[in-house]
Order: sequence, then C-alpha cells, then structure tokens
Amino acid sequence: MTQEHTQPASGDWARQAAMLKKDGWWLADLCGLDRLGIGGKDRFEVVVQLINPSLKERRTLHVAATGETPAVPSVTGVWPGANYMEREAFDLFGIRFEGHPNLTRILLPDEWEGHPLRKDYGVGKVPVEFLPQPLLQVDSPGQAPSGQAAGAALDSLGQVRVQQGQGPHESEEK
Amino acid sequence: MTTTQEVVRKIEAGGQGVFVEEFDEQEGHLVLNMGPVHPSTHGVLRLLLELDGETVLKCEPIIGYLHTGMEKECEDQTWRAANTIVTRMDYLAPLFNEQAYCLAVEELLTVEVPPRGKYIRTLLAEINRLSSHFVWFGTQGLDMGAMSAVFYGFREREMILDFFEMVTGLRMNHGYFIPGGVWEDLPEGWDDVLGNIVAILPRRIGEYEDLLSKNPIFLERTRGVGAVTQDEALHMSATGPVARAAGIDWDLRRDMSYEAYGDLTFEVPLQSEGDVYCRYLVRMAEMHQSVSLIKQLIEAMPGGDYKNMDPKLTVPPRSELNRSMEAVIHHFKLVTQGYTVPAGEAYAAVESPRGELGCYIVSDGGTSPYRAHVRDPSFVNLQSMGRMAKGGLVADLIAIIASVDPIMGGVDR
Repeated sequence: MTQEHTQPASGDWARQAAMLKKDGWWLADLCGLDRLGIGGKDRFEVVVQLINPSLKERRTLHVAATGETPAVPSVTGVWPGANYMEREAFDLFGIRFEGHPNLTRILLPDEWEGHPLRKDYGVGKVPVEFLPQPLLQVDSPGQAPSGQAAGAALDSLGQVRVQQGQGPHESEEK
Repeated sequence: MTTTQEVVRKIEAGGQGVFVEEFDEQEGHLVLNMGPVHPSTHGVLRLLLELDGETVLKCEPIIGYLHTGMEKECEDQTWRAANTIVTRMDYLAPLFNEQAYCLAVEELLTVEVPPRGKYIRTLLAEINRLSSHFVWFGTQGLDMGAMSAVFYGFREREMILDFFEMVTGLRMNHGYFIPGGVWEDLPEGWDDVLGNIVAILPRRIGEYEDLLSKNPIFLERTRGVGAVTQDEALHMSATGPVARAAGIDWDLRRDMSYEAYGDLTFEVPLQSEGDVYCRYLVRMAEMHQSVSLIKQLIEAMPGGDYKNMDPKLTVPPRSELNRSMEAVIHHFKLVTQGYTVPAGEAYAAVESPRGELGCYIVSDGGTSPYRAHVRDPSFVNLQSMGRMAKGGLVADLIAIIASVDPIMGGVDR
C-alpha cells in the first residue's frame, strides 16, 4: 500500500479537490486534527484520505485550517460524501467548512458548548452538577432518619459532617 | 383558517402527535419523526421524513444518540488498551475494528506479524463477517415480515459466538487482536469445533436462500426498491455491499490485499441494480465466499508464533513468568506503562461486513495515541439513505434501513 503525503494550500483546496477527482481520486475519509501537542505551523488541520481504485493507491492530504475560527473550503461540491465527515470535524474540532450546505453538529446535541476532540478540552474536565439536596430524604416519622438526623448520626461516628438541612454537595460548594 | 402550529397542537391533543413535527396544510406535506426508538431503525437511528401521503419526499438521518466519545477516550489509554475501546464501536463486527486499529499501529511500529498471527486474524475476521451477516439476514427478514429468518440467523450466529468464546474468552468486544499478533494462541481442538460449524453452514445458508431468494412477497418488496446508481454510490463514498450491489467492483481484501488474503482464492460478488434485492444477493454470496475462505484458512494454518514475541511489545507467555525475572519485569512495564510508538501517522483500512473500515492514527511518540480516528462504513453509507428513500413508500424505507445495515455503535462512536 503506497501512501503519499501532500499539503495543499487551504485557499485553493476546493479547486485542487476538483482536479484530483478528475484524475480518479475518490474520498475515503476526512477528519480533523488538533496539532496543539505535536507542533506545526497551523494548529488545526483537516486530514483527507483519498483512494484511487484504478491505480489501487491511497493518498493522505493535510489541509491547514487557518484563521481566528479555523476554516477550510468545503469539498461537498466535489465529493458529496464529504457531507457527514465535514460535519463531524466541525462538531468535534470546531473547524468551519465554507460552502457546506448544512454545517451543524452531527454527533453532539445542538446546544453543546465546545468541541471535545480539541486538545485543550480535557477528559474529565467537565464539571458534574449535583443537585443540592439532603443526604437522605426518607422522612416518615418514627421510621427512617431525616436528613438532619442522618447528619447527626454520621457526625457522631466522626465520619462526615453534614450541616443542618444540607447535603454534603452543597456544603462543598461553599 | 388554521395555522400549521394549530394543526400540530390538534394532532398532539389527539394523542398521536408526539411523532408529528410539522404539517403543511397547503401542500399536504407531513413532517414525521421516525425513531430514535423504533423497532425497525436498528438501534437509535432517527429519521426525519417529509411525506406526501405515503410517499417519502425527503429522508434525513439524524444520528448521535449513541455518541460516547470513544475517539477522545482512546487518547487517554495506552496503545494496547485503546484497542479495547475501538472494539466496542461496530459491535456486530468487533474484530474488524481491532484489525484496522492493529494494522495502523503496526505500520507505525514497523513490526512484523508472524504468519500464524496473520492467519488467525484473517480466520477470525471471516468468521466474524459471517456472524455479522447472520444478524443482517435475520433483521432484513424480520423487517419484511419473514419472522423465521431472525430465528435462523441468530441460531447460526450462536454457534459462531460460542466459538469466539472458546478462542477469545468473550462473545463480543474481544480485545483479541493486539498490535503484533493476537493475544493468545488458538485453543486445543479449535479445528474440530470450527470444522463442524463450517460443515453445517453451507446447507444452512442454502436454507436461507430457499426461504427468501425466490419468495414472491420478498421479491415484491425489495426489487427496484431503494436503488442507487453506481455513480451516486461513488459520489457518496459508499463502500461494501452497498457499493458492490450498485456495480462498483471494489473489495479491499482483493484490491489492496492485507493480512493473509493474498494467499487465498475467493470471488467478489457483484450486482448492478443497486436496489435492496441486489444488496441482499451480494451479502448472501459473500457468506458462501466466507465459508470457502474459512475452509482454506483451516487447511493452510501455519505453525509458529501467534504474535510478535518482542518482549518490549507483547507480554511474555504466562509460563515464562514463573521462571524468568526478565519476563516479570517486561510484563510489569507493559502493564503499567505500555510501550511507546514512534511519532508519525498511519491510516489502515480493512473490508468490514459494511465496507471500508479505516483507522487513522497519530502518535507523538508517547505511550498513548495522540489521535485515533475510525472511519466507520455505516456512518458514511448512511448518507446514501436520503437518496435511496426518496420517492419510495414508508414501508420501503423499512426495507432500505435493513439493507444498509447500519450499526449505530459504529455510526455514533
């Protein structure tokens, strides 16, 4: 399997793509890449895998996404199959594809903030929200302990200090 | 004069409107929401349909309901452990995910897999193709009203899963292929068990064909339904049975041979109409080819190492841990830290039951992938569904979904 690496300029990427298609190159894959940790001239890149069935060859292209919000021209006009792949790269990396017919989030919900596959969007850095509520809510008289009683019980064991009428989560926030 | 909103409210009040998104009274078009929880959408696929009566004017797949961020998760694992994440993507064909990932990592590592390792991988992949096609056969039949198909398909799949359990210890999500080979050698008696299965299967697949291939109801519901032309399939980057049913003569196993496929003889089934029936025929023929491949692989299974025995790459065999201090140290290092992979990038693709399953890997020279991207065939093939469904009936859509065979675990990753 031969693999060739080239870097077309992002400005005329759509034009180059059309020329490649004329030479019999078809789109196999397109994904985003954040070079924050490995260095490079531009932080964001679109990595395109092309395949040529008649030559039985593959080719890897790196198209730099430049600008304040990283952007590259869309190739959906050349290879319509790029549609979902570009949406995925937009969703997970925030790379804008200019000229894309429907550039919306595809895997994440529309109201999601941020682009998770970026390197500064760490694993486990999403704050988990706890609802402020008492530790135990069972409160039928004479049976199970109320939140307050449970707090006192735990306190007497010297384990957890639960403030009056508050759960541990709320006290942590203060 | 009622507005669209009022109509929607009226329909909702009638108790059926939860599915209706919009109704345009002038045009008589209805926007209907099918899924994500629907018995025939094979998981959590949601389709937004615009209907004129029973005719589908527009069909837009909406995905992401099973997204769990597996690609991000891989970046937090060692090279070995990331394999156990990718295997969970396309859960009906887990070994293909592992195969693509391992091939990509091996390309960066520039390590050789011994012949036996290659043959074992090829063998298990072909068996996996069968088990995946059995589920497709069952669900395709079930969706067309042929209830018995699902019982037959799952009965045969069960035999294969039992064999997988015998070899890998698990029925799915095996984590059995590792960069450098496979985790364990084939257990004793594997060839007898597999020989029995392979002896039974051709007759059983023949039964399937008797059941559906000439069934007038099935023909009526699949012939000419959901057709895409060769050109459309190429433009949509469709691969696998979807592309081959439309006349694209392309199979990575033959055309960009990997693992042991170069030593084997097989045919690539091809059809030209591109409709649901052609996709059915392609998959049925593929099953026969897989059985023949498995027979060849059992015959030709070479001896020797089942994995690259470099102790810096794969853990030493259990027996060595009892007598070699060095083996214990290597084991400890591999389990706690893992190995490093030279900086660079690689893309490797395999022919999964659904098409080209590619894995793009970037390494920064560390002990975990810098980026691991999987090109899932279901994800790409789903794009053709809008074209397939257009102009057909809602009932045809059910046949089309089954024939594309999307696995949402792979689509959403």
